[in-house]
Amino acid sequence: MEISVIGTSQVKIGKTDLAYRELGFSDLRGVGKVFSANSRVCFGQSTRWRKARVRFALKAVQSEPLRSEKVSVSARRSKSHDRVRLFVGLPLDAVSDCNAVNHAKAIAVGLKALKLLGVEGVELPVWWGIVEKEAMGKYNWSGYLALAEMVQKVGLKLHVSLCFHASKQTKISLPDWVSRIGESQPGIFFTDRAGQHYKECLSLAVDDLPVLDGKTPIQVYHEFCENFKSSFSPFMGSTITGISMGLGPGGELRYPSHHRQAKSNKIPGVGEFQCYDKNMLSILKQHAEATGNPLWGLGGPHDAPTYDQSPNTNNFFRDDGGSWESPYADFFLSWYSNQLISHGNRLLSLASSSFSETAATVYGKVPLMHSWYKTRSHPSELTAGYYNTISRDGYEAVAEMFARNSCKMILPGMDLSAEHQPHESLSSPELLLADIRTSCRKHGVEVSGQNSSASGAAGGLEQIKKNLLGETAVDLFIYQRMGAYFFSPEHFPSFTAFVRNLNQPELQSDDLPEEEKEAADSLRVSSESGVHMQAA
Amino acid sequence: MSTVSIEPLVGHCRRESRRYGAKSKAFKPSSLNCYTNHKLVFQARSFCNFRPPKVHALRASSTTTTAPVETVESADVFFKETFPLKRTETVEGTIFIRLDHGQNNRNWELTVGCDLPGKWILHWGVSYVDDVGSEWDQPPTEMRPPGSIPIKDYAIETPLKKSSSPEGDTFYEVKIDCKPNGAIAAINFVLKDEETGAWYQHRGRDFKVPLGDYLQDDSNIVGAKRSFDKWQGALGPLSNLLLKAEASNSKASGSSTESRDLKQESWSLEGFNEELPIAKQFALDNSVTVCVRKCPETAKNHLYVETDLPGDVVIHWGVCRDDTKKWEIPAAPHPPNTIAFKDKALRTRLQSKEGGDGCFGLFTVEEGLEGFLFVLKLNENTWLKCMGNDFYIPLSSSSSLPAKSRQGLSESAQIPENNAEANQKGSISAYTSGIINEIRNLVRDISSEKSQMTKTKEAQESILQEIETLAAEAYSIFRSSTPTFSEEAVVETEELKPAVKICSGTGTGFEILCQGFNWESHKSGGWYMELKERASELSSLGFTVIWLPPPTESVSPEGYMPKDLYNLNSRYGNIDELKEVVKKFHEAGMKVLGDVVLNHRCAQYQNQNGVWNIFGGRLNWDDRAVVADDPHFQGRGNKSSGDNFHAAPNIDHSQNFVRKDIREWLCWLREEIGYDGWRLDFVRGFWGGYVKDYLEASEPFFAVGEYWDSLSYTYGEMDHNQDAHRQRIIDWINATNGTAGAFDVTTKGILHSALERCEYWRLSDQKGKPPGVLGWWPSRAVTFIENHDTGSTQGHWRFPSGKEMQGYAYILTHPGTPSMFYDHIFSQNRSEIAALISLRNRNKIHCRSKIKIAKAERDVYAAIIGEKVAMKIGPGHYEPQSGAQRWSLATEGKDYKVWEAS
Repeated sequence: MEISVIGTSQVKIGKTDLAYRELGFSDLRGVGKVFSANSRVCFGQSTRWRKARVRFALKAVQSEPLRSEKVSVSARRSKSHDRVRLFVGLPLDAVSDCNAVNHAKAIAVGLKALKLLGVEGVELPVWWGIVEKEAMGKYNWSGYLALAEMVQKVGLKLHVSLCFHASKQTKISLPDWVSRIGESQPGIFFTDRAGQHYKECLSLAVDDLPVLDGKTPIQVYHEFCENFKSSFSPFMGSTITGISMGLGPGGELRYPSHHRQAKSNKIPGVGEFQCYDKNMLSILKQHAEATGNPLWGLGGPHDAPTYDQSPNTNNFFRDDGGSWESPYADFFLSWYSNQLISHGNRLLSLASSSFSETAATVYGKVPLMHSWYKTRSHPSELTAGYYNTISRDGYEAVAEMFARNSCKMILPGMDLSAEHQPHESLSSPELLLADIRTSCRKHGVEVSGQNSSASGAAGGLEQIKKNLLGETAVDLFIYQRMGAYFFSPEHFPSFTAFVRNLNQPELQSDDLPEEEKEAADSLRVSSESGVHMQAA
Repeated sequence: MSTVSIEPLVGHCRRESRRYGAKSKAFKPSSLNCYTNHKLVFQARSFCNFRPPKVHALRASSTTTTAPVETVESADVFFKETFPLKRTETVEGTIFIRLDHGQNNRNWELTVGCDLPGKWILHWGVSYVDDVGSEWDQPPTEMRPPGSIPIKDYAIETPLKKSSSPEGDTFYEVKIDCKPNGAIAAINFVLKDEETGAWYQHRGRDFKVPLGDYLQDDSNIVGAKRSFDKWQGALGPLSNLLLKAEASNSKASGSSTESRDLKQESWSLEGFNEELPIAKQFALDNSVTVCVRKCPETAKNHLYVETDLPGDVVIHWGVCRDDTKKWEIPAAPHPPNTIAFKDKALRTRLQSKEGGDGCFGLFTVEEGLEGFLFVLKLNENTWLKCMGNDFYIPLSSSSSLPAKSRQGLSESAQIPENNAEANQKGSISAYTSGIINEIRNLVRDISSEKSQMTKTKEAQESILQEIETLAAEAYSIFRSSTPTFSEEAVVETEELKPAVKICSGTGTGFEILCQGFNWESHKSGGWYMELKERASELSSLGFTVIWLPPPTESVSPEGYMPKDLYNLNSRYGNIDELKEVVKKFHEAGMKVLGDVVLNHRCAQYQNQNGVWNIFGGRLNWDDRAVVADDPHFQGRGNKSSGDNFHAAPNIDHSQNFVRKDIREWLCWLREEIGYDGWRLDFVRGFWGGYVKDYLEASEPFFAVGEYWDSLSYTYGEMDHNQDAHRQRIIDWINATNGTAGAFDVTTKGILHSALERCEYWRLSDQKGKPPGVLGWWPSRAVTFIENHDTGSTQGHWRFPSGKEMQGYAYILTHPGTPSMFYDHIFSQNRSEIAALISLRNRNKIHCRSKIKIAKAERDVYAAIIGEKVAMKIGPGHYEPQSGAQRWSLATEGKDYKVWEAS
């Protein structure tokens, strides 16, 4: 048996060489399509102990200048929506809490598939709780470096999301030392009216307080970013093209207003204001006293509903005559949302100064609090920290803050449409999205997209396509998220179709008169990606 | 599934009337005469070979970690690489089979054991004296040790228990009581290792231990034994053995599955104790490290090769001058202990390291060579290679290549820390190299074609195909490394679907099934006609679906050994009667499920070797339709995608023609007979993805699969946590993409333990949910307490007697789709069952109803379903709390009560 195995492998070698000769020949003809096939083959062949690698490298040399031109051109052209740069999120737990790469094989195979599909890159969540797990200033990047290397080898781009929050879903917590501090001083966490702490991220009120062993969270985040930059300097700008700065719960710029939602309830409630940790309360008190209304500084609105209640349950968000239209509410909501914007400003300016000399772009994520959007008060947005109602545009200030820091904005939920939302929630993801995008356009903030859930909302891909190919372009889209479902037969074929469609929107393969044209066109796409790959 | 046979052995001993003990170890050396102790086998899975030496299991089984490779201090070392070597080592142990008498002389006790670690399962059955064929039967219940699981109607699986001898050796054994009642001619068994999935057989056949009633029927037994080619009693056990051993020693076949036939005598009062060598393969990780150093003075390269492989290792090596990798013999001098091999390569025996395992070699190679090639040879048959190729060590001194490419080449060599990642990358690309090779060939073929247009188009196709293959690969790894089935994900997807949507996995969601036959139904000769009369009655009881017996021509009267699929004349009636009964049920407003056996099919003709594997009838498949991994049937198809059913040829569903025929057959049944859906027999035997294919083609209203395997037991007691068991069922449903439900065997098993032993706490899992499939994927769980196999006259796994109504009170109030057994409906329990069914229908409990467990204690279990129904089973007390709802007692019986909210 063993002998026969050896025999086969030798035969294989022979075949390989033969194939190479053939490929080399076709390459001379300069047919783009064939070239792409060729590069793909090389890519599979990049085993170091094979001579193939050498030949492969040679080709890379030839194509390198070509490629850099292309990149710069496409960077310039990104506004004129040439084509959307599509990224796919890696699994949230791609790196385990002991810094090993989880599902390495699956990811590797998956990366190849994505590369061949013509996807631009992958998004990698980098967790504070994993990298700086043990002690302040003690960073371990090994798992992420390994992944970055894998991504680079395959020739994909990398969009890094720095996650300063925890994730219950994947059981990734804040750094152990931070959690320990939190046990003795729960005031560093967001707190709701009932006094319950949200332990998955630090309250924005402590941003500038030296609560972390004498350092402020901002300082700690800053050092984290700096260390990230130096540790990944070989990848910066080349492989790593974008960095999302974690801004709060789930990485998004918001308060954790909806975290205690009952699962059984299909209709999301309005959420709760999170201004009850002692530092928030003291800021609120100072602010109220400074504006001459000391009694307003004692807490949040007393007549707001609880997490999963509907707007009409209590007086605050009621459509008619709700107290959200009172002067007190205006005072409170302005303060509450301004706190959030200042927090976002602190983090984004930190990030953009840290990464300014790298070629990577800084992004921040803004949530899409779409339920109850069709009410007048927009309760979900209010509790999340966006003072956006029927009568007030709350996203102007946010967009302006992004523009000030020259950051791009990531908007999730591009797969959502109202028709798939429970009717009772009076939700409209599309309208809200349009609303935010208008503000962004006004301030020249480029918008990137993301879909909401990993499990794929109904009609999601169609909706994404609609969003991406609309009049106002999206320069980058992060599709969430690689995993078993992503590659499952239920999902992957439709994703493939989606990607192909995205890259050649106007060409439906069926109604093309000539096959040649179609082939040639899709060629362009894959040959380009082939070039990137080789150079990487 | 691999089949490993016992290695034949001349010098094994058989001791009489001896308990198994430490002597088995002392016996070992004799086995060394026969074959080498360490057998190294090259692993064909090439991607394994490149992993870093240490593989830590982290969360997921597929996780590969990058183990740090030692940094090399010396500056002139420009290449250092550690290649992992995966090999399997065969460890040998002993299977012992002992027949002796227990406390009283009338009872014989058969002990089967093994001293190798593993999750051993005895898969066994008996042959009765009056049996003519070679098929197994299930042993009588009193013979079955606790923890036994019936496998279909022909076998039992009993886990071996771990114990240790007085000397402290650990071994696994199982004891079977053999009542001398003359009926059983022999016990047949194979040993299965669940860890590896390997079966341990005897020359591809079962172990057979003949039994006989010595006291009553001596002469008769001996005669019977002769006809079974057994040994004469006069020879005595010992001579028996020697003779047999000689006979079996003629293992001239050369295959690796030689084995010895074991036959034993049982009438000897002393009993016997026989030991057989067994070989199990363990995967071992070794590595070889190659370090290349440039000697600054001579410009020569010094290669240092070091490995931790035990024993003598020969390195078969050469050098190459260019990228064709053509082997050449380098100029002398060669290292010591080197011989030339066919003027192409050199063979050097590596030197043993002092004071430890492993060996090393030092090679000096002159300047101007491109690479160093080698393979490792452990013995004549065992070669270790690098992903199926030669190891290739680049030597950087070549000047024939452009500088740039050299840089690319030695890049990783210059950064030793990166080697681990590079390694990993290597393994990754090897992973798909097969596919890529194919595509490369395709591209080559294409380029020879004239039309360039077609070429690009086809090349594009090939890219898409490759993407698909890669995705499938990634999917399977991700899926297997997802620790448990994610409950919430299901809840979400469930919620997305409106509750009334009809899909083949759930029907309307409000189905109640009736199994419309039992094991004896074929005997009436006109079952369809009998059942027809019950249609309106069953419908008025509240059933919505009836499951009819298997309709095809069958070797066994019950219908589960189908022959010609298109011949629908069975013991239950002919095709016209079948159509009539279906019509009748349709008129009564019920849907009809056909019992389709897709896993196996009985042949009508023999092949040239006399094996029955050529089919007849309209689907006259040949042996390409039979899976290749069941030696009984010499199939020429692919390996089975599931477990094998041993009594008939298993169909290879990976064959396109087979699938096409089955799809057509199912569609024909739908049209011709009017079946609305399927009950799928023995779906463990093939991949659920094929079921998906069949269901999508035949578009049934409802479909349910029988995925029946063993629950987990520890020391004969059922484990509380049956997550692994239900996960397997869930995995199957998942593979069908939810197009079929599955019988909730887990729930039945847990109900058994809970009711029988008064352990009602078992009915809540660690998360406070129902512990069966219905707790995880209720809409696809078809709950039942009995069927024709478990109950009826077979009674392979009978529900605790007298507690059936508690079982029905449970499944008829809970989510999932309940299925009721015919015998129970027409029993004294009929009115109680009717009350429960009408309560379920009245309160619109459906397969996705919400359930809250209110109590799960020793003697009582209670739950509230959909906020409308409360129930309790068990002798303990429970009353639902009156709060928002007022509860009124709706129905009750022995140890159960059900309330409705008003």
